[in-house]
Amino acid sequence: MNDVAPADRTPTSNPVLRRALTWGGLLAAVILVVSSVLGLVFAGVPGLVSALIGTVMAVVFMGITSASILLANRYANSDLFVGIFFGVVLGGWIVKFIVFIVLVVVLRGVDWLDPTVLFLSIVAGVLASLVVDVLVVAKSRLPYASDVELPKAPTED
Amino acid sequence: MDATTVLAEINGNIATVGYGLAAIGPAIGVGIVVGKTIEGVARQPELAGRLQVLMWIGIAFTEALAFIGIATYFIFTN
Repeated sequence: MNDVAPADRTPTSNPVLRRALTWGGLLAAVILVVSSVLGLVFAGVPGLVSALIGTVMAVVFMGITSASILLANRYANSDLFVGIFFGVVLGGWIVKFIVFIVLVVVLRGVDWLDPTVLFLSIVAGVLASLVVDVLVVAKSRLPYASDVELPKAPTED
Repeated sequence: MDATTVLAEINGNIATVGYGLAAIGPAIGVGIVVGKTIEGVARQPELAGRLQVLMWIGIAFTEALAFIGIATYFIFTN
């Protein structure tokens, strides 16, 4: 009984999060093209640069949440998993917001950006990433109980 | 000098108040989402995978407002 290997306790959420990251990246590419063209048309080269930076910022910062959960799930078999999980996820979250605020403050002053295009492309990127998240979760099939092992049928002979 | 000038004068950009509001809301929201997830996982550890996905989508919606709120810095100055 003692030589049984401990069950793998990796949560079942990993494939869903990975799929969300992949589709988020794909949709981000589409948004990137559309917002760049719109930015170029409405605000010239500063608009183009702003659209690129805004979309990338939105998608990267929204994607960090699922990336941090995936990273934390690597420690699923550790005894300290709950602590590690919430440390990594919430720590990543707060670092992300500090970096975002610093980026916003830094980018506000520069003259080669168009603030309106930047803001609108951030909003577009955030909304697109939300749509992808909801669609991926709605289409996902998660088993209810992931790491339960059913008892084997008794062998009588 | 009227009472408004003496008692309630505000200098600078009122939009800075918005950053504070944009930080408080998501902080409370994410705190509730994560706290409830800890409760759920503590009660039923085998549901951790499902609860993680729900937590993640909850965080995503909460932080979306925060991103938009902080990004208004680009358009609300002056």
